Amino acid sequence: MTKTIAITGKGGTGKTAVSALMIRSLSKKGKSILAVDADADTNLPETLGCDTVKTVGDAKEALQAEITKPRPDNPDMNKESILKSKVYEIIEEMPGYDLLVMGRPEGSGCYCYVNNLLRGIIDKLVMNYEVVIIDAEAGLEHFSRKIIRDIDDLIVVTDASRRGFRTAERIHELVDELGSNIGRIHVVANKVTESNREELVKLAGDLKLNLIGMIPLDHKIEEMDIKGVPLFEIPDDAAAAIEVEKIVQKLGF
Amino acid sequence: MVEYPFEISPMFEGERIRKEGMFVELGGPKSLGLELVRAKPMDEIEDDKVTIVGPDLKDMEEGKTYPWAMIFNIGGELVETDLESVVERRVHDFINYCQGIMHLNQRYDVWMRVSKDTAKKMDSFEPFGKAVMMLFKTELPFIEKMQVTFYTKEEEVKKEMETAKEIFKARDARTKDLHDEDVEVFYGCTLCQSFAPTNVCVVSPDRVSLCGAINWFDGRAAAKVDPEGPQFEIAKGDLLDANTGEYTGVNEIAKKLSSNEFDKIKLHSFFQSPHTSCGCFEVVGFFIPEVDGIGWVNREYQGMAPNGIGFSTMAGQTGGGKQIVGFLGIGVNYFYSPKFIQADGGWNRVVWLPSMLKEKIAETIPAEIIDKIATEKDAEDIQSLKAFLQAKNHPVVTTWAAAEEEEEEEEEEEEEEEVAVTSAPGMMMPSAGFQMPAMASMPMAMPMMSAGKTGGIKITFKKAKISIERMVISEKK
Repeated sequence: MTKTIAITGKGGTGKTAVSALMIRSLSKKGKSILAVDADADTNLPETLGCDTVKTVGDAKEALQAEITKPRPDNPDMNKESILKSKVYEIIEEMPGYDLLVMGRPEGSGCYCYVNNLLRGIIDKLVMNYEVVIIDAEAGLEHFSRKIIRDIDDLIVVTDASRRGFRTAERIHELVDELGSNIGRIHVVANKVTESNREELVKLAGDLKLNLIGMIPLDHKIEEMDIKGVPLFEIPDDAAAAIEVEKIVQKLGF
Repeated sequence: MVEYPFEISPMFEGERIRKEGMFVELGGPKSLGLELVRAKPMDEIEDDKVTIVGPDLKDMEEGKTYPWAMIFNIGGELVETDLESVVERRVHDFINYCQGIMHLNQRYDVWMRVSKDTAKKMDSFEPFGKAVMMLFKTELPFIEKMQVTFYTKEEEVKKEMETAKEIFKARDARTKDLHDEDVEVFYGCTLCQSFAPTNVCVVSPDRVSLCGAINWFDGRAAAKVDPEGPQFEIAKGDLLDANTGEYTGVNEIAKKLSSNEFDKIKLHSFFQSPHTSCGCFEVVGFFIPEVDGIGWVNREYQGMAPNGIGFSTMAGQTGGGKQIVGFLGIGVNYFYSPKFIQADGGWNRVVWLPSMLKEKIAETIPAEIIDKIATEKDAEDIQSLKAFLQAKNHPVVTTWAAAEEEEEEEEEEEEEEEVAVTSAPGMMMPSAGFQMPAMASMPMAMPMMSAGKTGGIKITFKKAKISIERMVISEKK
């Protein structure tokens, strides 16, 4: 069975960094992984050290343009098979994992049909992997449109602030509204320092949030960021890498 | 029972063979890939035969990409040329049923991969060819004999590709020539019912879905794969009226899917029981009573139509899965239909199109009318439109004269006719507020507002002639 983990949180909390570190940790365990960048900002590829640009959005646009041509050359074309081919073509095959970038939101016009095809394709695609890790935007748009349907674990990344924890609480509410099939919801606090650690544990308790990890503020990450070194290459003994490894274990790996 | 070196099951359909697990790649974005099914006379087919022209699997180098063509010949008492595309569409399914073989795309864009695991179990493409043919003959029993040739040499693949392209071209020409009267079933689609619950999208060879994305062939393919899915068969039933495109089967499904909101949908009618409009149509048509003509505006057009309304406003009023007389949502391809609103005059009734749309579909507009249809460059309001049509002697102009004559003879009747749009029996009032789109194009000033929100409404009619048989206005509670 495929396990689907989505990582979300508002901008600047480091959710993409956490996603990348989790993919790194899982690929070291030899899991077959599909990494999905479902954030319109598309930061995951760079963080992983992959310079891919092709997105599902592009594939969708290309098919949409093709099928809504006023007079299609081939009215009997197999649209499902064409879209599937386009999606498979844009999957970046990295060592240890595959990467799928969702990309830009759709243009005007009706995408009901194309999205319906895409749903079927992604449903089948994810079954090829042991783990699917999704870097998702805070609005969870792809989930509301049910392009990606079932999530086993939703991880909300928050920075070490009261406001960040409130956001986590709101995402909890959003999930309820979506009525998506989401298993467990966890919270990971990022950029934690010794001075705020205890306070944050208490806050999570007060808000009844399931805090499964506290990633320390790691200067190594900042350093790599400035130098443009992909986070995927972080050493095993970096404090953040160690904490993420623990989180992955808590999720059952 | 023949044994195959790999497992065969529909569960392998979504199997993705990664670069790391791939033995060879056939065709695809980096090479040439072709598939073709041909109907042949029975005596020309050597049943179950697999021929390989070029290097076989065992001669291929691991990790490499090879050009690929596969030509299937099929025969049988019921096999005819028209079935080629139906059979060809299943190549994708059946190859993917084979474990360790990935098939993508179609026709001259085929892309396949063979996994290392499967390549270990066979040294030739022969068992693969036999497995695929077995699946075809089991699932499509009208195929009595079948043989396949695989080409892996570039020059051979290129040669086959050239021949195939001609065959595809001829096939497409036949496909485009398919009409409502040639088929027994139409297809319905309920994808839009999530936001337009009473919308009934009927897709026939002469009528594409409103979104433009689903044609009759897509309906056929989808309904075959998943009859319970969003696209399904509609037995067209008896033809009630060829001109309006009214069928008993369509009426039945209209009643059922709209939960009895409508009991009729006429496929090629603009005024009488028109097709419902979902909201995501590509183009909306609007009646302009002052000129007795119909204008069309596409989603991409940002400006105003001569009736003073833009696409989004009209779309908002027309959408929601209702039959709004005076407005009609369509897919662009419907302009190419030989039955395009034929019940209401077809192209002779079209008076206005945005220039971008007119250019896009120019090839389908009859030559004798194309210059008589105004765009935003010719007419921006009703008055300039009227003048343009008169100057060009558009066919609708003759109806103006007829209407005037009639007026002299029978004042009463004319009065009713002019407002037929708003008083037509069975006309649906858009549910929200008091926005009657049909009235918005009438020569009157009607402030748009939502009743109930502001605590009262004010309607000013100027020079209006209205006859209403029955009108119920009740307080919103």
